[in-house]
Amino acid sequence: MKVTFKIWRQENTDAQGELKAYEVDGLSEDMSFLEALDHLNEILVLKDEKVIAFEHDCREGICGQCGVFINGRAHGPHNNTTTCQLHMRSFKEGDTIVVEPWRASSFPIVKDLVVDRSAFDRIIQQGGYITAKTGTAAEANAILVSKEVSDSAMDAAACIGCGACVATCKNASAALFTAAKINHLNKLPQGQPEAHRRLLDMTAQMEFENFGSCTFTGACEIECPADISISNIAEMNARYVKAKLFG
Amino acid sequence: MKLNAKIPEGKLEDKWKNYQAKSHLINPANKKKLKIIVVGSGLAGAGAAATLAELGYEVQCFCYQDSARRAHSVAAQGGINAAKNYQHDGDSVWRMFHDTLKGGDFRSREANTYRLAELSAPLIDHFVQQGVPFAREYGGVLANRSFGGVQVQRTFYARGQTGQQLLLAAYSQLYKMVRAKKVEMLPRHEVLDIVIIDGKAKGVISRNLAKGEIKRFAADAVVLATGGYSRVFRLSTLAIGCNGSAIWKAHKRGAYFAAPSFTQIHPTALPQTSEAQSKLTLMSESLRNDGRIWVPKKKGDKRKAIDIPEAERDYYLERRYPSYGNLAPRDIASRAAKERIDAGHGVGQFKNAVYLDFKHAIQKLGKKVVEDRYGNLFNMYEKITGINAYEEPMKISPAAHFSMGGLWVDYELMTTIPGLYAIGECNYSDHGANRLGANSLLQTSIDGYFILPNTINNYLEGELKAKQYGIDHPEFSKVEDEVREQIKKLLEVNGTRTVDDFHRELGKVMWQECAMSRNRKGLENAIGEIKHIKNEFWKHVKVTGSDNEMNPELEKALRLADFIELAELMCLDALQRDESCGAHFREEYQSEEGEAMRNDEDFAYVSAWEYNAGNFVLHKEKLMFEYVQPTVRSYK
Amino acid sequence: MFFRKSIVAATGLFLCIFLIVHLSANAILLLPETTARELYNSYSTALRENLFITLIAYLLYISIILHVVYAAIITFRNTKSKGEKYKVNHNNKNSTWMSQNMGFLGVFILLFIVVHLANFWAKIKLGIGEDVGVDVNGNVDVYEVTSFLFHNMYFMLFYSVLMIPLGFHLYHGLKSAFMTLGFYHKKGLRLLAKISLAYAIIMSVGFGIIPLFVYFK
Repeated sequence: MKVTFKIWRQENTDAQGELKAYEVDGLSEDMSFLEALDHLNEILVLKDEKVIAFEHDCREGICGQCGVFINGRAHGPHNNTTTCQLHMRSFKEGDTIVVEPWRASSFPIVKDLVVDRSAFDRIIQQGGYITAKTGTAAEANAILVSKEVSDSAMDAAACIGCGACVATCKNASAALFTAAKINHLNKLPQGQPEAHRRLLDMTAQMEFENFGSCTFTGACEIECPADISISNIAEMNARYVKAKLFG
Repeated sequence: MKLNAKIPEGKLEDKWKNYQAKSHLINPANKKKLKIIVVGSGLAGAGAAATLAELGYEVQCFCYQDSARRAHSVAAQGGINAAKNYQHDGDSVWRMFHDTLKGGDFRSREANTYRLAELSAPLIDHFVQQGVPFAREYGGVLANRSFGGVQVQRTFYARGQTGQQLLLAAYSQLYKMVRAKKVEMLPRHEVLDIVIIDGKAKGVISRNLAKGEIKRFAADAVVLATGGYSRVFRLSTLAIGCNGSAIWKAHKRGAYFAAPSFTQIHPTALPQTSEAQSKLTLMSESLRNDGRIWVPKKKGDKRKAIDIPEAERDYYLERRYPSYGNLAPRDIASRAAKERIDAGHGVGQFKNAVYLDFKHAIQKLGKKVVEDRYGNLFNMYEKITGINAYEEPMKISPAAHFSMGGLWVDYELMTTIPGLYAIGECNYSDHGANRLGANSLLQTSIDGYFILPNTINNYLEGELKAKQYGIDHPEFSKVEDEVREQIKKLLEVNGTRTVDDFHRELGKVMWQECAMSRNRKGLENAIGEIKHIKNEFWKHVKVTGSDNEMNPELEKALRLADFIELAELMCLDALQRDESCGAHFREEYQSEEGEAMRNDEDFAYVSAWEYNAGNFVLHKEKLMFEYVQPTVRSYK
Repeated sequence: MFFRKSIVAATGLFLCIFLIVHLSANAILLLPETTARELYNSYSTALRENLFITLIAYLLYISIILHVVYAAIITFRNTKSKGEKYKVNHNNKNSTWMSQNMGFLGVFILLFIVVHLANFWAKIKLGIGEDVGVDVNGNVDVYEVTSFLFHNMYFMLFYSVLMIPLGFHLYHGLKSAFMTLGFYHKKGLRLLAKISLAYAIIMSVGFGIIPLFVYFK
């Protein structure tokens, strides 16, 4: 299988970047997209060129490290997948595949396809946890959580933090990411004591990091590999009003 | 040096209490003066860093990923064991201890294994408090499932993403302490060497992976929590970045390496489909709860799975191990699969897989229940293979997975270098020669949250009075120079072969000779080949780009250089152990039915290797079994 | 962020309600001419003379201004948040066109409102331009103004065609406003999407068909 990659190359954050074309032969349909990039990198090494820097780690769709914009879509042509779970069988012989890094001013480019998503960590840092020290827990079954609540908390908790929501959003809004974490914890009884503070602090940080505001285009929930529903954002908004009024 | 495991006095069930009662404490004001480096931010690393910071220590935590949340603990699917006995099915700390010890084929310490079981119940309490959305019953209590190698239901789970949920809990707790300014988090930092001063671990040399900058970091103790090294096989269920470099460097600086050949091959991964494949995706072992494993009775049967009638299917696990059936422990299930595949019954494109069938489960439980239990795994399977597993069986195949082996640690989790600790998968402690499913999340969490924070004080108390060294100490500059030298050498080779090319070659040798079954001749050959690969690597590897920028190729090369050396030691270790135990199966030592034959007379010890200027010296820690008499590990 | 978004949503919803009232009044134009003229003029007189309606009218002006100003601020900030754009972007695969172009649609609607106010509000309330006559009941003959305007082909087309962007804007705007204000019930959201579609169609077709009707009558 032969395709042409057009890949964003950029030396570092401050450098000027550009799309560069690479014709790659010898690919197979069973290869994952990232394996095709591996293959291209091996060719580049043997041609004495620098390899393309791209993010990846677990390659099974859970760590959230991988993520590039492929042919105009976050994580490629399929809904709700990660880049690492995209396979070359999704492309045709002779295709041109444009690969760009996540675009958002809060995600500066580090190099080539690698961006800095530490803004996400700083949002979590502002309250995406339950303030309880190791060793202070009571017997687990002393806290009863109905299956429905637990399941819906789990739905939100499934976020892998890849940043596709921000990348695909025309506003570079981090609302889906932030809402997922807030709702995961605020739905559970364990998260109640600091529910309002968590919500206000995390959303404040989200704004401080310069993420845009949500206008409900719905693109994020289509691209989200963890299937996080956009209703999470609406729920966050509802909780925000409550927190402002009663927090 | 004589190995001292420092097992505390007293009865088995009192040892941990006795230890805690007697260990040295440090008052809060003094804890602030002590600095601890934690390498790795998985469940062990993040748990330890957060807890140590809560206790008052100054902590620096390193990870090579862009965020602590990516550590490979995230990928554990099935669950975490705990002796809660919520199911009222006869479980207890004792039974869990016994299962783990037996599962490990009696190659771990009784005291360590008991402590693992003992601390499992409070760990579940801890994670529930941290907001982990564990599966629940309708009444609101926690749910359980069963897992390979045991006959009770003691596994707690959060869908098929238990590792992710636990890691996110640890990660958020870690960032809580970052906010409190008690932890400095250093993502995209790879630790390339350990600095030892006066025989004690006093710091690390690290490379900033985004910028290439090499820096020194000093501390009063160094904790390695770097995970497993099964990427030595190249194709494994591990993340691409997982590596053994930090522990290998520690080993070369004096830490003993224990049982490096004990690596677990997981029975339920997706089969390899191409030469360019970079990783094998794991399908959770929990699938074996309801799925049935089989191969066609006829060799090379070309029919589709659904066209093969029941009478012509060989449910070989149920046939060979009637009491455990499809839930036989991993090593046994993997080997049984290999046996069938080697005998020509393999299925799939490369005849390298077996079927995992849910037909009966769907008939019995209904599609809804199966979907509820394994929905995300079925989705994942379809994403990768394009096959709907509700309609036809999955194809699965064994893959390199967990490394039981690791740095030798004593009861306090300290390596043979004072002040250097190893926690989680990178140490050799509780699993013996084979780890039971859902015990990995348990061990790594307990090491980080509960054990290390209660043992490190015993050492650090002494460090308060000891002489303090900073990064200006000559040893720091010496180690830094060595790191720079190695990088320079790598970049200067400018050969003709890529790093991946060498890694593929190494992986093939290791998979062939040092994986599911091993023999003397093969291992001896492998050692020769590995030495050859090492030679070739340093002569012909090509790494482009420079060292003062983000350079993924250089990162890979540095990791592979260490893997090659580690591979040799793994083979040496497998060679010296003239018995079959757990994941270590030596073809020379098997019964007529092909079952493993352990030799407690001569091999009831932990092998601990000392590095001595390019040579490896074997030390033995004799294992004493006071409470459980080793028996033949039968799952028949 | 929440404040600005909520303002846009709340004012938007208020304007949505206003549109219903407006359309029901416009529907009078579909009646036979004599009945329509009388009813239409007396209705508009009643509105002008009612103090409560006058207050609502001011609220309406404020709403429009706030809606436009805050939407503009949000759009400006969001564009800045996004920074550099993709070379290739197939966002039509993951979202509707209108959701991606609310600002663009809004500009047309704003243009419409300006012209619309110049045609009616300026004429009738401010008395700019030619004098407006009265009908048999002595009410200001707003019907005549309307009818005259819609018999001009360009205005007729302007008033009809610009209802298309309005429809798109309303379809996304209505459901989005509900979510912004915290409506998150999952089944409710599915119903909301249907209601939004129905509402948008009724409004755009309803408003759009009247000039055509008057023109061709």
